[in-house]
Amino acid sequence: MADVPTKTARAEWGTRFGFLMAMIGAMVGAGNIWRFPYVMGNNGGGAFVLAFLTLLFVLAVPGLMAEVALGRYTNKGVIGAFRDVVGRGGMVGLGVVVLLVNIALMSYYSPVIAWTLYYAVHSLLFTFTGAGFEAEPFMNSLFGNAALMIGLHTIVMGSIAAVLGLGIRRGVERLVVYAVPALVFALLVMVVRGLTLDGAADGLAFAFTIDWAYLTYSDTWIAALGQALFSTGLGWGIALTIGSYLREYDDVPLGGGIFTAIGESSIGILAALAIFPIVFAVGVEPDAGAGLAFVSLVQVFPEIPFGGFVAILFFVGFFLATFTSGLLITEVSVTTISEETRFSRTQTVLGVCGGIWLLGLPSAYSVEVLDYLDFVFGNWGLPLATLMILGVIGWVMGPERLRLLTVNRNAGVHVGRWWNPVIKYVIPTVMIFIMAYFAWENRGTAELYGGIAVIVLFPIIGYAVMSVVEGRRGQPETAEVPGGDD
Amino acid sequence: MAALSAEVIGMLAFTLLAFYGVAGWALARTLRQEGEKVEILEHQDRMDTYSPEALAELREWIEENPNDPLVDDARSQYNECVEVLRQTDRHFYDWSDAEIERLDSV
Repeated sequence: MADVPTKTARAEWGTRFGFLMAMIGAMVGAGNIWRFPYVMGNNGGGAFVLAFLTLLFVLAVPGLMAEVALGRYTNKGVIGAFRDVVGRGGMVGLGVVVLLVNIALMSYYSPVIAWTLYYAVHSLLFTFTGAGFEAEPFMNSLFGNAALMIGLHTIVMGSIAAVLGLGIRRGVERLVVYAVPALVFALLVMVVRGLTLDGAADGLAFAFTIDWAYLTYSDTWIAALGQALFSTGLGWGIALTIGSYLREYDDVPLGGGIFTAIGESSIGILAALAIFPIVFAVGVEPDAGAGLAFVSLVQVFPEIPFGGFVAILFFVGFFLATFTSGLLITEVSVTTISEETRFSRTQTVLGVCGGIWLLGLPSAYSVEVLDYLDFVFGNWGLPLATLMILGVIGWVMGPERLRLLTVNRNAGVHVGRWWNPVIKYVIPTVMIFIMAYFAWENRGTAELYGGIAVIVLFPIIGYAVMSVVEGRRGQPETAEVPGGDD
Repeated sequence: MAALSAEVIGMLAFTLLAFYGVAGWALARTLRQEGEKVEILEHQDRMDTYSPEALAELREWIEENPNDPLVDDARSQYNECVEVLRQTDRHFYDWSDAEIERLDSV
């Protein structure tokens, strides 16, 4: 290690529950509410659940443990953590790649939060159960109104700045300890409501019938892989950042790995249990993707008793899920940049949120831009960021060192040596496979060119920036831990 | 609600158990352990940091990697745990007196 980790006067989670809710709040987003249910239904129901669970335990749980552990070991944000591991110099730019992916991700996620905010407000106004309401024109009127979208995007980023400005304990923790349980409560009430409707059994049968043949299809495993890795937020730098605020005696494996991966997936299952019975009871299409939430479900509410209140529960819960994710995604940049510069947290929050707001304007203006960025960063940007974080742990620091020094220290469950090859070989191989798979599937398209640009440009930008920055700080040092240890 | 097939009920039960069972277990266990840790820290201000199995692995690694750049950190963490075990009466992990007796610094 070039810089020996030091315990500085740094914010910490006030309670274990606060840390856990931050992890869940960060990972549960739009993907869990609208994507998980229909991906599950379309890929063999029970067979998909088995494939998903397998990948969750083999990849996501160990990977999240590693990321949280690196954050706790270094007590720093993404770039500082990379500097601790690789030493000073341009290679710290690998951490900048994670940061750039995060900022890009948040730039188009903010307009998505804006959609959920708009629907949440209209649910409170009982718009969806009003006379003459039509779902598709309503959605198109939102997407086609650039001024409205930009205004909502501004409100979202302003609200995120306000919460982040209050700090980790007073802002983030205080919000997530109420927001996440509120989301779970809202979905639970929807489950109860849905299961008491005629036709609810068809919804459960759609989601939970086991079609064993699906376990032999590569598409099922690719879908399960995408859901297991990306819905858990592995490798985005979020778990690392949240872990960097852990207290000295906190446990990593139980909360940072097992509870986070399984807990956030449980909310996806809860969403399936809440949505499918209602959707089937009324007879609308269950596999409409984003449209499932914004078109199909909206048509359902007038058809069921107390539909206006169910709509409030769903859309307010949906908004909380996306907002807490956006909050923690932005926190990655705030933590990192405030550590790397002399700016105060307030100045950093304003700068980061302002920058993301600016970068998010094209996505707020056009849904096509948003879809394009989502595809590029979902299929290449996020695997690249994951490859950077897990690659640094696996191939530079060495998983055995992290396991002995941090993962098993103060741990509630013992993590054995099986963990090392998963971090060093399995997860990086899977990330490379994902990027190669989507490159092959999208050969010759604009999406692939965007992906290539991200894969090539981000590391170059990161390396160049940190070469200059580290050069100004002093002579680059060689990392004291060259090569993996196992 | 119409009747569900045994297969669907079975899969539903398995899913609920696999997800909510594991998540609930992890949540309850980690919060209970936090309570135990807080209680121990209030009582004696210091706490053992490794389980017997984890501490044995740490020692093994220290002995096998004497020139590793992180060996000093590892040694320091090992010795801290041994010292706390010797000097305190309440432990977080299941250490027996005989196990503690056998421990020495590295």
